[in-house]
Amino acid sequence: MGSAILNGILMGSIYGLTAVGLTLIFGVLKVINFAQGAFLMSGLFTTYWFVKLTGTNPYLALIIVIPFTYILGYYTQKVLINPVFESEKDVREPIGVIIVTTGIWYMLDNLALMLFGAEYRTINIPSVSKAISIFGLYAPLSKIIGFFISLIVSGALFWFLQYSKMGKAIRATSQDREAASLMGINQYKIYNVTFGIGIAICGIAGAVLLPFYYVYPTVGTHLDIMDFVIVVLGGLGSIPGALVGGLIIGLIESVGSQFISYSWTLEAIYLIFLIILFVKPSGLFGVKGEF
Amino acid sequence: MNFSEKQIKSIFLIFLIALSFLIPAFVKNQSYIQILIVVMFFMYITTAWNFVGGFAGVLPLGNAAFIAIGAYTSTILFTQYGISPWIGMFIGGIISAIVGIIIGLPTFKLRGAYFALATIAFGEGIRILFQNIDKVGSINVGGARGILINYTGNSFVNFQWVSRVPYYYIILIMLIILLVITVYLMNSKMGYYLTAGGEDPEAAASLGIDVAKYKLIAMALSAFFTAIAGTFYAQWILYIFPKSVGSLDLSFEIAFIAIIGGRGTIIGPILGALLLKPLGELTRTYLGGTLPGLHLFILGLVLVLVMIYQPRGIQEFLTKLFNRFVKKIAKTSQS
Repeated sequence: MGSAILNGILMGSIYGLTAVGLTLIFGVLKVINFAQGAFLMSGLFTTYWFVKLTGTNPYLALIIVIPFTYILGYYTQKVLINPVFESEKDVREPIGVIIVTTGIWYMLDNLALMLFGAEYRTINIPSVSKAISIFGLYAPLSKIIGFFISLIVSGALFWFLQYSKMGKAIRATSQDREAASLMGINQYKIYNVTFGIGIAICGIAGAVLLPFYYVYPTVGTHLDIMDFVIVVLGGLGSIPGALVGGLIIGLIESVGSQFISYSWTLEAIYLIFLIILFVKPSGLFGVKGEF
Repeated sequence: MNFSEKQIKSIFLIFLIALSFLIPAFVKNQSYIQILIVVMFFMYITTAWNFVGGFAGVLPLGNAAFIAIGAYTSTILFTQYGISPWIGMFIGGIISAIVGIIIGLPTFKLRGAYFALATIAFGEGIRILFQNIDKVGSINVGGARGILINYTGNSFVNFQWVSRVPYYYIILIMLIILLVITVYLMNSKMGYYLTAGGEDPEAAASLGIDVAKYKLIAMALSAFFTAIAGTFYAQWILYIFPKSVGSLDLSFEIAFIAIIGGRGTIIGPILGALLLKPLGELTRTYLGGTLPGLHLFILGLVLVLVMIYQPRGIQEFLTKLFNRFVKKIAKTSQS
C-alpha cells in the first residue's frame, strides 16, 4: 500500500508534467490541443533514437529533444493553427482549431507508424531503472528523477511567466488579447512561442517517461485522455492545478489498482471527470467564467 | 424544351436515386457492393450526427456509444431471447435516445471544448463498461471478446442474408428516410430554433426560444437513429465487440466526415463519406501492407487543409460548381 502511494505520487507528478503544457496552451490560446499526446509521442521517439544511437541516457537527450520539440510546436502553430485561429477570431465557439489539432494528431501518429512500425519498443537503461529505497519504500530511480524534473520544469515555467519580459507578454495576451496587441504585443508571435513551450514540455515529459514506458505510435492517445481529465480537474489554464490534478489521478490509478482491475479504475476516472465537468467545470484551481 | 433550374435539380435528384437503386443490377462484384454499403453506412451515421454536431452547433465526439448501445441491445435480444432484430432495432433506438437525453441534460450546459471533452469521456466510459462486463445476471454481454451472432442463412425475420445486396437496399432506404427527415426538420420551426441556438444561444433565448429543449430533442433523435445503424452493423457483420462498435476512432471518424463534407448542411455528410471512405478503403487495400496508417495520415492532412482553406467543408465549393452547371443547362434549354 505504501509503495502504491509512493508510486502514485511519482507517476502523478509526471502525468502533471505532461498536463502542464496542455494547460499553458489552453490558458493563452483558449484552445484544447488534441495533438498534445502525439507531440509527447514525438518526444518519446526522439529520446528513444537518441539513447539508442548514442548509448547514453535519456536526460542527456534533452539537449536535442527540447529544441526539436520547441521548433516543432512553434512552426505547427505558425503554419497550421494561426490561419484557422485568425479566421475564427469572432466565432463564439472556436471549434475549427480543435479540429485542426485533431488532424495534426492523426498526421503525427500515422507518420510515426509509417516510419517506425507498430511494435512496442522499450529501452533498458540499468543505471536509472534500479530501485532505490525511500523511507523503506522502493521506487525506480527513473521515476524519482522524473518527479524532480517535473517540479523543476513547473517551477522554471512559473518563474518565466512571472518575471521575464516574454512571460509577462504571454500573461498579458492570455488575460486580454486586444489590450495586449494595443500595447504593441504581436499576439500571433506570442501564440507561436506559447505553443512551442507547451510542446517542449511534452518533449521533456517524453524523455522522463522513456526509461519505464513503452514507445509506440499511438502511445499518446491514452496519455491524451488522461491529460484532459487532469487539466479539467485542476482547472483549465492553471499550472499548479495541472500538477495537483496529475497527483490525484496518479494516486487514483495506482491505489485503485490495488483493489480493482485497471480497466475499472479507468472507468472510475472517467466518471469522476464527468462529475467534475457537470458540477464544477472550473476545476479545483480554475477561475470562474464561461464554460 | 424549357426547364427551370428547380426542375433540373429535381431531375438530377430523381436520376441519382434511380441510379442508386439500379447499381446492384449492374455491379455483380460483391466486394464493390460491400464498399458501397460502407460508404452509405457512414453517410447515414454522419447525417444522424449532424442533428447535434451540425445544426445545434456543438462538437460531439462520443457518438460511437450510441452505435454500441443499438448493436448490443438488438444482438442480446436476438441471440439470447430470440427477438427479431427488427424489433430489437427500435428497442435499442429508444434506450439510446433515453441515454442521449440523460447525458445531454448536463453536457449541453457546457461550451465548446468542454462539451467535446464531456462527450469523449461519455463515449469511452460506455466502451469500457461493455469491455469490463461479462455478464449481468443471466445476460451474456461478452466483455472484451464481444458477441458472435449465430448465422441462420437467408431470413428476413432474422435480418440475415448470404448476399450483400439486401443489406445494400436496407441501408439505402434507411439513408433516404433519414435524409427526408433531416430536410423536413431543417425547414421546420425546430430547425430554425436549433440553428439560432447554435449560433447565439443568448440571443435565441432572449427571443423566447427554449434552446435547451430543442437541443435535447435533437440529441434524442440523433441517438435514436445512430443506434438503429448499430443494429444494422451487427446484422451485417454478425460479430460485435466493444472496440468495433464503440471505439473513440469511430466517434472521431464520424465527426471528421461531417466536418470535411461540411457540417450543418444536408449534403455535407454525403459528400464527406463519398470522398473519404473509398479513399480510405483503397489506400488501405493497396498500400496497407507497405505503408500502414497512410490512409489515416491522409485523413489528418485533408482535415487540416480543409480547415485552413475551406472551413465550411468541401460542400461549399462543390455546391457552387453544381449551381453554375445547372444554370448553364437551364440557359441552353431555354434558347
